[in-house]
Amino acid sequence: MATLVQVEDLSKEFGNVRALAGVSFRVEAGEWIAIMGPSGSGKTTLINILGGLDTPTSGQAIVDAVDVGRLDESGLTRFRAQKIGFIFQQFHLVPYLTALENVMLAQYFHSTTDEKEAREALERVGLGDRIEHLPGKLSGGEQQRVAVARALINHPKLILADEPTGNLDEANEETVIQLFHDLHCEGHTILMVTHAASIGRLADRRIEFAHGRLVQVPESLKFST
Amino acid sequence: MFWRLLWKLLRGSSGRLVVAILALVSGGLVVSALLNLEFDIERKLTQEFRMLGANLVISPGRDAQMPGVAPPALMNERDAFAAIQNMKDPAVVAAVPFLYIVERGGGTPVVVVGTKMEDLPKLEPSWRIEGQWSSSRDNQIPCVVGRNVAQQLRLAVNNPLDLTYLGKSARVTVTGILDTGGAEDNQIFMQLPEVQSLAGFPGEIGLVQLSVRGATKAISDYAARLGTALPAYEVRPIRQVTEAEGDLLNRIRLLIVSMVLLILALTALCVLATMAALAMERRHDVGLMKALGGSIARIVALFMAEVGVLGAAGGFVGSILGIELSRWMGQRVFGTAISARWEIFPLTVALMVAVALAGALPLRLLGKVKPAVIFRGE
Repeated sequence: MATLVQVEDLSKEFGNVRALAGVSFRVEAGEWIAIMGPSGSGKTTLINILGGLDTPTSGQAIVDAVDVGRLDESGLTRFRAQKIGFIFQQFHLVPYLTALENVMLAQYFHSTTDEKEAREALERVGLGDRIEHLPGKLSGGEQQRVAVARALINHPKLILADEPTGNLDEANEETVIQLFHDLHCEGHTILMVTHAASIGRLADRRIEFAHGRLVQVPESLKFST
Repeated sequence: MFWRLLWKLLRGSSGRLVVAILALVSGGLVVSALLNLEFDIERKLTQEFRMLGANLVISPGRDAQMPGVAPPALMNERDAFAAIQNMKDPAVVAAVPFLYIVERGGGTPVVVVGTKMEDLPKLEPSWRIEGQWSSSRDNQIPCVVGRNVAQQLRLAVNNPLDLTYLGKSARVTVTGILDTGGAEDNQIFMQLPEVQSLAGFPGEIGLVQLSVRGATKAISDYAARLGTALPAYEVRPIRQVTEAEGDLLNRIRLLIVSMVLLILALTALCVLATMAALAMERRHDVGLMKALGGSIARIVALFMAEVGVLGAAGGFVGSILGIELSRWMGQRVFGTAISARWEIFPLTVALMVAVALAGALPLRLLGKVKPAVIFRGE
C-alpha cells in the first residue's frame, strides 16, 4: 500500500499553548485510523491541519504528496475541495438548505453540481426519503448521514471525521459506524477522532494523543478488521 | 446551483433582510420621486414662469430711439413676424405685436394699445378679464379697457366708446374689462389694424413681446439668433424674468441633488447596519463553505449577488412608488401631474444596487473567516 498521509515532527502552537509537539506518523492508503486521547490532547488540531483548515507552526503534514503547510489560501481551498471529505461532530449542515442541497453545495464548490449523483449519495446512506428535508427536520443520526454523503460526494482521497458519533444516540451511532465500516471496506482512507474505545477497536490502527504528543501504542493493542 | 443558493439565502434570512429591503424601497421611492421631479422641473418651472408673461422683447434699434430721430420709433410688422416664423422654434409660446398711442379725445389722456387681442391670453395667462377679448358681432370694433379706465370713464361691458386721435375718430364697443394689477389697468386694448389705421401707421408696430419656453441659456441663444435675423431691431431677454427663472431652477436642482445624495447615504448606512448583523450570523455558514472548498471569491460573490438582488428589487419597487409620489408632489406644488420619466427606472435600480453593494461592505469581511476558528467556537 502507498503512503497517503505522512506527518513529520508536526507542531502547532496557539500563543503560549502547544497543541501539537513534534508528532510523526504515517497512514497508508485504505487504512482506517482511530485517533484517540483526552480532550485538549491535540486530536482536532491534527485533523484541522491535515484537512487544510489550519496551518502547522513547524514540521510537515503531507497528504497525497501535497505539503499542506506550504499551501497559500487559494491552494488550501483547492486542496480541501479536491482531496478532503470532512465529517464533524456538530454535523455542520447549512440550516436553510435541504439534505440534497447540502450535498450539492460540496459539489458546487468542487466543480459542477450533479443532482442525480447527490440523490444517489443520500440514498446510499439510507436517506432516499429525506432528500428534500431541511436539517431541522432530520434526527441527529440522519443529519450525520447527510454529512457523510456530503463528505463522499467528491470522491475525496482522505475522509477526516472529528467525533462523528459524539452527538448521536446508540442506535444512530451504530448506523453511522456501519457506514464508516462500509466505506473502509470499499477502500476509503479514514482518520477518525473518537473517544469511544468500542469504535476505536473497529479501526485498523489506533493513534493515541496526550498533551499534544503521540503516545506509543503497543503492537499488541492494534486492532484489525 | 448559484441561483438555488441565492434563493435559499434570501429566504433563509428573510427576517433580517426585511429591514434592508424596506430601507432600499424607501430610498428608491424618495430618490426616484426626486429624480423624476428633477427631470421635469425645468418644464414645469418654465410653464410657471410663462404665467408671468413675456420674457423677450423686440424693439426698434437703439439708433432709432436716439433723441432727435424722427417720431415715433417703429418697426415693420411683416419683417419682424417673418423673422419669427422663419425660426420655426417650437419653444415660442406666443409672439404678440404692440402699437401704443395716447388718445386725448375724451379730455383725459389714455394709452391705447393696438395688439392681437386673441393672442394676449397666451402671452399673459395671469391676466383676468371680465367679458371677452373679441366681439361676437362683425359690425362692432371690440376693445378691452383696463379697470381704472372703466372706473374713470364709467364704462361697462357692451358700452360704446368714442376714441379720437389726431383728428381721426372711431366708435368702439367695450367687450371686456381687464384687471392685471399693473399699468394695463390704465390702458385700452384694441385690435392692431384699428390702432394702426387710427394712428396712421399701417403695417407698423412699436414692439413685439414674446413668451419663450426654456432655460436662461436657451432663451439667450434664441434671442441672439433672432437678433441676427433682425439686425435693424433690438432683441433682448427681459433679464429679471429669465435670470430669476434660471436662478430658481439652479437652486431647486441643487436642493434635489443634495437630497438624493443624503437619501443614498442614509440608505447605505441602514443597509450597512443590517449587513453587519447578518455577517455575524453567517460566519458559521461561511466557515463551513470554506471548509467544503469554497473559494473566497465564490462565497463573497454569492453574498454580493444576494445584496444586488435586494438592491434591484428595492430600486424597482421604490421607483414605481416614487413616480407615483412625484405625480402627487407635482399636483400639490404645480397643480399638474409630473410626467413619468421611464429612464428613472433603470437609474433608480442602478443607484439602489450601488447603495446596497456599498452597504454590504461588512459581508466582504466574511472572506477573512477561518473555518478552524469558527468550528472551535471562537
